[in-house]
Order: sequence, then structure tokens, then C-alpha cells
Amino acid sequence: MKILYKGLIIIILLVTFSACKKQWLERTPQNIITDAQLWGDPNMITGLLANYYERLPTDMGLDGNWRNMADYDDAMWSGYSGEDGRSNLTYSTGRWQLWDYGLIRDINKAIENIATYSPKGTPLQIATNAQFTAELRFVRAYQYFELVKREGGVPIVTKQLIYDYSGDASPLRNARNKESEVYDFIATEMDAVKDVIGNISGTGVPSQTRANKYTCLALKCRAMLYAGSLAKYNNLMAVPITTTGAEVGIPASMATGYYTKALQAAQDIINSGVYTLYNSTPDKGQNFYDAVCKKGVTNKEVIMARDFLSAKAKRHGFSYDNIARSIREDNLGSSCITPVLNFVEAFDYLDGTPGTLKIRTADNSDYIYYTNMADVFANKDNRLFGSVITPGSTFKGLNVDIQAGVKTWNSVTSSYTTLTSSTLGSTHTDGKLLTGAGGPHASIQEVSNTGFYLKKFVDQGAGTSTRGILSDVWWVRYRLGEIYLNATEAALELGQTSVALPYINAIRQRAGFPANSLDATTLTIDKLRNERRLELAFEDHRVWDLKRWRIADKIWTGSATNPDDVLYALYPYRIIRPGDPLRDGKYVFEKIKAPRFVLPRNFQMNNYYSTIPQSAIDNNPLIVKNPFQ
Amino acid sequence: MFAGCKYDNYAQPQSVLSGTVGYQGQGIGIRSTVVQLELWQRGFQLFTKIPVNIQQDGTYKALLFDGNYFLTYLKGVGPWVTKTDTVPVTVRGNTVVDFPVEPYYFIKSSSFVKSGTNIVGTMALQQVNTTKTLQAVYIYLSNGTILDGTLKVSSATIAAAAITNPTTAPITITVAIPTSLASNDYLYARVGVQTNGVTELAYGLSQKVALK
Repeated sequence: MKILYKGLIIIILLVTFSACKKQWLERTPQNIITDAQLWGDPNMITGLLANYYERLPTDMGLDGNWRNMADYDDAMWSGYSGEDGRSNLTYSTGRWQLWDYGLIRDINKAIENIATYSPKGTPLQIATNAQFTAELRFVRAYQYFELVKREGGVPIVTKQLIYDYSGDASPLRNARNKESEVYDFIATEMDAVKDVIGNISGTGVPSQTRANKYTCLALKCRAMLYAGSLAKYNNLMAVPITTTGAEVGIPASMATGYYTKALQAAQDIINSGVYTLYNSTPDKGQNFYDAVCKKGVTNKEVIMARDFLSAKAKRHGFSYDNIARSIREDNLGSSCITPVLNFVEAFDYLDGTPGTLKIRTADNSDYIYYTNMADVFANKDNRLFGSVITPGSTFKGLNVDIQAGVKTWNSVTSSYTTLTSSTLGSTHTDGKLLTGAGGPHASIQEVSNTGFYLKKFVDQGAGTSTRGILSDVWWVRYRLGEIYLNATEAALELGQTSVALPYINAIRQRAGFPANSLDATTLTIDKLRNERRLELAFEDHRVWDLKRWRIADKIWTGSATNPDDVLYALYPYRIIRPGDPLRDGKYVFEKIKAPRFVLPRNFQMNNYYSTIPQSAIDNNPLIVKNPFQ
Repeated sequence: MFAGCKYDNYAQPQSVLSGTVGYQGQGIGIRSTVVQLELWQRGFQLFTKIPVNIQQDGTYKALLFDGNYFLTYLKGVGPWVTKTDTVPVTVRGNTVVDFPVEPYYFIKSSSFVKSGTNIVGTMALQQVNTTKTLQAVYIYLSNGTILDGTLKVSSATIAAAAITNPTTAPITITVAIPTSLASNDYLYARVGVQTNGVTELAYGLSQKVALK
């Protein structure tokens, strides 16, 4: 026993001392990444950057809050009835609230850590650090633009705020900067980083998904345009919206400076020759669709996109949710965002006449009869056909089969008897179509309530409207079409109509209009604003444009008698009138208030600037509330 | 132990603070749910307002604990001059505090009659603050008693240019009864006046007009 005991002690001592190597106590952890390791590895930093890009907010898109496309006046909701509140909508004063300083902090921390920890021994390392820092500053400026659009002036924080646990948090409290200061910050940041931000290939091809010199110019261009219009139009209101410290309210005297910068930035992009308006597809409707949705470097119009890739399982259900009902490939879904007649009629005819559809005779005594449904849309602005699926057209090579019902002539009463069915794709007693497989129907969910379907951003690839395959159409952040419109608006506001005209005419010519379709008398501010609505529909511009022009509360007045507040539908019917060859078998159209639409759109003064979270105000008494709250 | 079994051991507020938002004791009619008073109370960790909705006839009511409050209003929303008026209020039991405002144009009185297929409204305007001009007068019809510029079935308007003596003579305004209301036993009517540069209208009382 004693020997065994001594033996055990010897063994234990041997084991202990042999394990007492210096390295054993100084092993590197396998589950912690140190700051030096992270910031010394470009792959790690690129991974962080990808996360920060993804966190940039939008008001609509192809995932996330894509349903917001149905909340304004270009489209309405025709999908699952649980979202019918979007047709019965009051814009709350907190609707566009954003106070995501978590992202700002992460970016500031990244910039400071690159400066502290990243190796800077070789010129390549120094250049890499500068490039990453520039790209982080782009994402930060983008986020500040999203903040100032929604909240007015916000605190500009460019370094980490670290609490020292002393019990006094007042060094961490920053007051709101002025609205103009935030816009100025975005401009100076973009000027500082655009020449070191890189992401342009050796052959001069800029990245379409990462920031580069041209995305910096595009962000600056849009921000300066917004600031200019706020400076001008806020002060044209009967009572301008301001706070005493100018957290809200840009002086009118600053408008010219901002418009000039916007025009200059736009021209820098356009004159570089790097981008061109996409115009390669012969069918000009399909061409407009391609200008937005065609992916890859062959599309030289898209400056920056948020991309998806099915091969890497980064996909979205936008096509599953919005494909036309009659050609849906899954057994559920479809038809959620459906454009409305108001939007369709905003597109002019190619001869310049206003876009109201001709569905009744001049004396309103009778319908106008069309041999083919598509004929009523003949010679319209081709951007309509790239954005909207109209009755009588095809998508993915298939007929979309839109017909509300039939009208049978009753010679005794000298009027039509209208018949519709709740069975989609039903056949009438005469053996021909009664109600189309694509509706429209007044109440069935997941079929168009308006007589139209969305085309822009809906994937044309086979199977992409199934939940198994999904879609990887990209979300466009910036494209050359917008830059042309920005240039037109800035030039027009500066009184340089002759500078403005070539840009807007180029956009219209791409849409199928003859060259020089607008001249100095026909290019008015209202005409330009309508062009912006048509060109950039569903790309997250409309509500911001109406806000910065201060016309949102004038257009969306909440009145049931205002045609801009109520959303309309166009229902096609087949005529049954034997013995009348001019009418029998032809199609007529009825304009009605969209049956599922309830509450006229109503934008009020307290919607121009959103609320700031009460928790932010509680923590920081320096934060001033926005007006009307 | 049994005392700790209750989740919320505060008694509920019992004191009613009420009053009229108006000029010289007469309530100014407003668009409900939009125009608000604010109650503030110091002495607690968080300092945020209690919003008090004003009813469309200008009266308000709030159920509070006893204490000292400041009563003010949501700036820029309402047919009156925007000033930084604050009324200190001590609430002890049921308390009545009127909140005086300085309106621009407002409706002193109004009445309605049915005339054939129209409703004819007669109103008397009064102007207090003279820095802004008259823009228009309106009449609204609805099947419900709460009605205003947004919540209405039909309306008519007369622009200021067509009104010769806005404050010295009664103004009549006519609106046709809409088909959707024509078969009802009664409807409600209300008049409003809009001052140039002020978003909200000042309204009269909402009145019931018999149709049969």
C-alpha cells in the first residue's frame, strides 16, 4: 500500500511537471478572434462590409417590406386578405421612423479599428486600409441620407461613443444637427472618398454592387437634389415646416447651391461615358423592363444594386408573391401588388396626347368597342409595358387572360346585362370565356382587383414563381435613368432649360417617344415630376419625391371626391350582341373604383417628418421633437 | 403576503379635468382626432406629454391623478395663432379649466334648413386675429354626427373673393343633397371657415337636419 501510494505520487508529479510547459498556459484560444486578427484579414472586413450593406433600409424592396408598394397611389393590394389594411390605410406619424444608430456605431468602430489594428507596413496594406475606410464611409453616408430623409436633422456621430461608467452619461449626449448640416456632411464625405474608394476593374468596369466613384457621385447627386428641393419648396409653403434650431427647415438661400451640386454630380456620371441608358432590346416595353431587371455588366445602366444569387441560396419570393394569377406556377400566392388605373393613365400616348384611356364615346352614349383588348393601350409610352402587365398581353410567353366577364345585349331594354363569375377561367353558355383565369375579380384574394398585374421586378425565368426555385432579380439602388432625371430637375430649377431638355428627351426617346418630344414650353416642373413617377415607379422614389416637393398633402388629401386619393380599376368585358358585327365579340372597358379599396389616401402635415423613438428622447433630453408631434 | 399577490397596487385615476378650448368662453369647432392639447407634469423620471384629444365642439376631458400639471397644445395644428401658451393647472377632484386661444376667423353661429333638394347653411363669422386673410367657407354633409373636411359625404365651397362682407353679414352656402343620403330620415351638416395659410379649418357645430 505504501509503495502504491508513493508510486502514485511520483506518477502525479511526473505528469504535472511534464505538462508544465510554458506553451500550455499560453495556447491561443480556438473560439475567440482578436482585434488584430480581424482587422488584419481583408476577407473578414469584406464579410463585415457585406453585413453593413444589407442593413441599409428602404421603404420598399423585393423582400422585407416589399408590401409597402401597395400603400401609395401606383398600385394596391390584391393578395391575401389579411393585408387588406393597406387599402384602408392611415399614415401614422411614426410610419417612416428610423433611428438605427447601431449601424452607425458599427461603421465608426470599424473605421477606428482599421486605423488602430490593421497592418500598415506595405503600400498595398496602406492602400487596402484606405479603400476599406472609404467604402465604410460610403455606407455611413448612405445611412445618414436615409435618416435625414425621414427624420430631418439627426446627430452626426463619426466616432465611437464609449461610456466610462462614471455615472454621468452627458458626454454621450449629442444634439440633433441641422437638416442642412446632414446633407452637407453627405456631400463632403462623398467628395473625400470617391477617388480612393476603388472597386473599379483594371479595364474600367465599376462594380455594380459595391461602392465606387460613381455610386459616390450618385448618392451625392440624389442627396443634393433632395436638399435643394427642401430648401426651395419648404419655404414656398404657407407655413414652412421648421424647428427653432433648424433641425427641420433648410434656408431658401441654400437651394441654388444644392441644385448646382446635384447637376454637377449628375453630369460627372453621365459625361464619364461609363454608363449608358439601356436600349438594346427591339421591343421597347421589354427594353424598359430589361433596363431595370437585366442583371450583369451587359446592363450598363445600373450603377448600384442589391444583388441576389440563386446558386448561393440568396433568393426572394417577390415573383411568387406578385406573378399574374393566371400564369402562377405554384398552387398558392400571386397577384399581391397590382398597379392601378390611375398609374396606367399617367403614361402619355407616344404622340404626346394625355394618357386617359378612350373607353366611352365622346358624348358618353356608348362604349368604344375594341377588336383586341390590347388595342386600348396602343401607342402608349412603352414604359407602361415594361412596368405593368396589361389585359391582352403576354408574360413569359403565356396569355395573362384578364377578363372581368361578359355583357349581353338585351334588345328589349336596350341595355347590357353584365355577368361575371367567381370561378376564374370559367366558360360562358356560348362556349367562350366568361371570367378570365387572371380575373379581375371584385373580392377573391390573390387575383387582381384592378385589372392589371405588376411586371417590373417580376422574374421572367422559368419556375421562378414557385417557392422551390424563388427568384434572384436584383433590387436597383441607383441607375442612370434616375441620374438623367436628377440632372433635368436640377437644371430646370436653376433656370437652365436648354441644359435640361436633352436629358429628359433622351429618357423619353428610350421609352419610344420621337426625338426632342419636349421643348422649352412643354417641359414644365409638373411634366418632369410625372416623368419621374413613371420612370422610377416601384423603385422607392415616389413618397420621398412627394415629400420633398411638399405636395404630398396636396395630392393625398383624404377626399373621396379627389381622383388622386381614390384608386381605380379597369375591368374588360366581352360583348355578346348577335346580329351586330361591329360590336359582337368585341371588348369594352369599365372604369370603377377598385372594389377592395376603402380609405382615400390621406397624407397630413405630421407625416412629413417622422417621430423619434421616445426612448431616444428619454435618454437624451437634448433631442428636439419633430413638428406636429 | 396577500398584499403582494396583486400585480398593480396603484388606485386608478379618478379626477376629471375638463373644459373648453375657445375664445371668450365659446368653443372653437375643430377636426376631431387631429387637434390636441398636451398635459405635462414634472417630478417623474420620464418627461413626456399626455395627449388630450379635443372633441369636435371644442371641449376636452382627461382622467388624471390629482397633481400640478401644465396644459398646452400641439403647436401648428389648429385654426388659431401659434403661441407658446401654457396654463398651469392644479387638479383636485373634478376640475374645470378653459383653455383660451386666439383664432383667426371662426364660426360664431350657424343654422341649416332643407330647401327642396338642397341644404342651405347660414353662418356668422367673427375675426379675432387680423394678420391673415380669409380663404374660403365650406359646408359639409354626412350621415354621421362626426364630420369635417376629411370625414364627409359631400361638400360645397365659396371662395373669399365671392364674399363681400365676411364678418358683418351672415353668409349663406348651398349644397345639393347627395343621392346616397337622399333616402335617409336625416343627415348632419356643418360649416367651416378656412384662413389663408392655416391648415386646419374652424368649424361650427354639427347639426342634424331632418329630411322627412
